[in-house]
Amino acid sequence: MNAMEKVAWTELLVSLTAVVAVALLFPWLGDAAIGAFGLLGLMGFAILFIRRRGSRVVVDERDYQIQLKATAVGIYTSWMAMILTLIGAVVCSGYADAETVPTRLLNWLLWLQFAFCFGLRGLVSIALYRRQHAA
Amino acid sequence: MPRKKEPTLRNCVRELRTATDGMTQQDLADRVGVTRQTIVALERGEYTPSLALALRIARVFDRATDAVFELDE
Repeated sequence: MNAMEKVAWTELLVSLTAVVAVALLFPWLGDAAIGAFGLLGLMGFAILFIRRRGSRVVVDERDYQIQLKATAVGIYTSWMAMILTLIGAVVCSGYADAETVPTRLLNWLLWLQFAFCFGLRGLVSIALYRRQHAA
Repeated sequence: MPRKKEPTLRNCVRELRTATDGMTQQDLADRVGVTRQTIVALERGEYTPSLALALRIARVFDRATDAVFELDE
């Protein structure tokens, strides 16, 4: 497993952990459970995997290609999901005769998008590395 | 509309490497500036290298690029 594959696993596992933590805390804390999304900050430690060791190359052109593809999939998919959710929220509020979309929904949406985007990016990266059977 | 399939490159990197006295995948990776995993994927034909990498690999084996890489259409 190379350095960027470890980074991809970190992104996937941290995103999943954050979502699970939020889901577990929600029954007790309600909207305050959103604070558990702070766990996403643990992704910052992934930089330790790509630190240079001697003169050996850690990240190369193949990693850049895979990251580019995975980032595109992650960002485009989460943008689409966000836009569709916002359209859905506006339609629902219209039917319910509410004049505004609740801000708590936007707050949740923002954090879920972060988790979704990084989780999906990690997942796609791992799939691409697996497809190439990297040793 | 179906997308045109990307052509892949066949290569004889493994043969050339093993014929070069005791050169490991890591040695080759260090000489051309990539990770060992990229050489593994390349030798298995699962990765199409950039032109720069193909040229660097050909130079390591002192061959013409088209003697190492061949378009598989």
